Amino acid sequence: MKNKRFAIVLDTRRCIDCKACTVACKAENSVPLGRDNYRNWVTEEPLRGSYPNLGQNFAPGQCMQCANTPCNRVCPTRATGVNPDGIVFVEVKKCIGCKYCMTACPYNARYYNEETEAVDKCTFCSHRVYQGQIPACVETCPTKVRVFGDLNDPGSEVSRLLAKYPTRVMKPEMGTKPYLFYII
Amino acid sequence: MPTIAKRPGELLWFALLGAGMIAGAAAVVTVLIKGHGEVYNLTREIPWGILIATYVFFVVSSTGLCLVSSLGDVWGFEKFTVIGRRGHLVAILTLLTGFGTIAMELNHPLRLALYAIISPNFQSPIWWMGTLYGFYMCCLIVEFTSLMRGWTRTAFISGLAGFFAAITAHSNLGAVFGLLEARHFWYGSFLPIYFIVSALASGAALTALIVYFNHKARHIDLSPQYKEFMYTMGKLQALFLGILLFFVIWKLIPGLYGQPPEKYEATMALLTGPLAFNFWFFEMALGILIPLAIVANRRTRTVFGVMLASLLSTIGIFFMRYDLVIAGQMVPMREAEGSPSLLSYVPSVAEIAIVVGALATCLFLYTMAEKFFDLEGGHRH
Ligand code: SF4
Ligand code: SF4
Repeated sequence: MKNKRFAIVLDTRRCIDCKACTVACKAENSVPLGRDNYRNWVTEEPLRGSYPNLGQNFAPGQCMQCANTPCNRVCPTRATGVNPDGIVFVEVKKCIGCKYCMTACPYNARYYNEETEAVDKCTFCSHRVYQGQIPACVETCPTKVRVFGDLNDPGSEVSRLLAKYPTRVMKPEMGTKPYLFYII
Repeated sequence: MPTIAKRPGELLWFALLGAGMIAGAAAVVTVLIKGHGEVYNLTREIPWGILIATYVFFVVSSTGLCLVSSLGDVWGFEKFTVIGRRGHLVAILTLLTGFGTIAMELNHPLRLALYAIISPNFQSPIWWMGTLYGFYMCCLIVEFTSLMRGWTRTAFISGLAGFFAAITAHSNLGAVFGLLEARHFWYGSFLPIYFIVSALASGAALTALIVYFNHKARHIDLSPQYKEFMYTMGKLQALFLGILLFFVIWKLIPGLYGQPPEKYEATMALLTGPLAFNFWFFEMALGILIPLAIVANRRTRTVFGVMLASLLSTIGIFFMRYDLVIAGQMVPMREAEGSPSLLSYVPSVAEIAIVVGALATCLFLYTMAEKFFDLEGGHRH
């Protein structure tokens, strides 16, 4: 969509590692079963403190819909592309399965889908978004860790959250300019 | 029509190659029926395995053979004209074998041909890889034909074009890895340069092997001209292996100095980790140090010595490719509690069978080519 820049802001303090987002994503996007097949994940960060005062953080992640996309750069056939609204997609019929994009992505956000015979990854559920809905993972999250919206709209919840809280992105040193923001 | 397989040695040779090719074909059929995911041991984290390494090995061989054999026809070093025809022919065959191997690793090799043309991405080193190697292949074919027909002028022009195509295509292959910012072990301008150097070492070794075994198989003694050639190859190899050693050392130092994240872990995987045996035994001892010791010493730089050194360094260079491809992917891109600090990959039986099949096919094609073409004649005496 023109004039939009989609993003997700995550409040990881609320994440309870229930993995509802992962399940919802698999169902929504017909992700095949198998160890390697997933579009989004929840990373368990190391335990903090010592017994009995323990704490742990969980960081959900998925394709960061980078603004500077190494995956898009390396794809020989332009099977990987970027929409004007920032959503990074894979066009199934053009993908030759060279897996170059998988080695190029610093977040390991991609996998090879044996059913569609193409590389697959999170698309912010573009099929839903373009119909005015929100991504399945966002909709399903019980503690509202995830907020989805358009950063070009200053009134959107994502814009307001970014203005209000300090945030960080994953691997900023890679220069990929991710559009998944984590509230610190 | 030349006759095939009269000597027992030859029968055994064809039996071996046949077995290798059958193993490879069986694996290919299994992959086509069951799909890559079932048959290969590749994962989401390590998507490139031994087939990519084998592909690299074969195209390195091709580049090396092209560079070394053009010393005669293109650059006018008389001694090297004896290898012109054979060198270029084997360069074509190794390149074809390489293409075959990577076709087994891509999930849709045919789509590549279509969409690389109608939907090209000029930013992609893999796009350039296909294009440049395609051009290189054409140069090789024209040059080989010209050498066979004795068209010296065309041989020279296509040879010159082929020489530069080889360098461009091959350094670009280094860039396929070297332009991945996410993979610290590969990233940078080192690999494109290193690929050329290792191609020279590879080419010198293979050229010597071809000359040696070709005479051996026919039970003929090397003529003084060929003996002289072997000594020269020995000296050249000493030079190339020396440079290669220098490059290997300089590949390691930046990976250790200051323990740069990810690069350090990958380097340590080679030095003391899961790839250490491959690195120390195959890459260093077999691949570089022992052959270097043989060819650098005038007393051991005999015809047999040069052959032995070449054989060892060729084996070593295969492992060099493998280790490079795997080490670059071993550091996980996402750290989580309880996840391993290094990922692991072991090739599946089918993957290994395809590698064996590729090697057997290449040797088979070469053996047949020796029977059908006059590779001996045509050089200026
Ligand atoms: S996270 Fe990976 S797949 Fe997604 S846009 Fe960035 S580089 Fe590409
Ligand atoms: S695997 Fe598919 S999407 Fe990825 S780089 Fe290759 S062709 Fe492009």
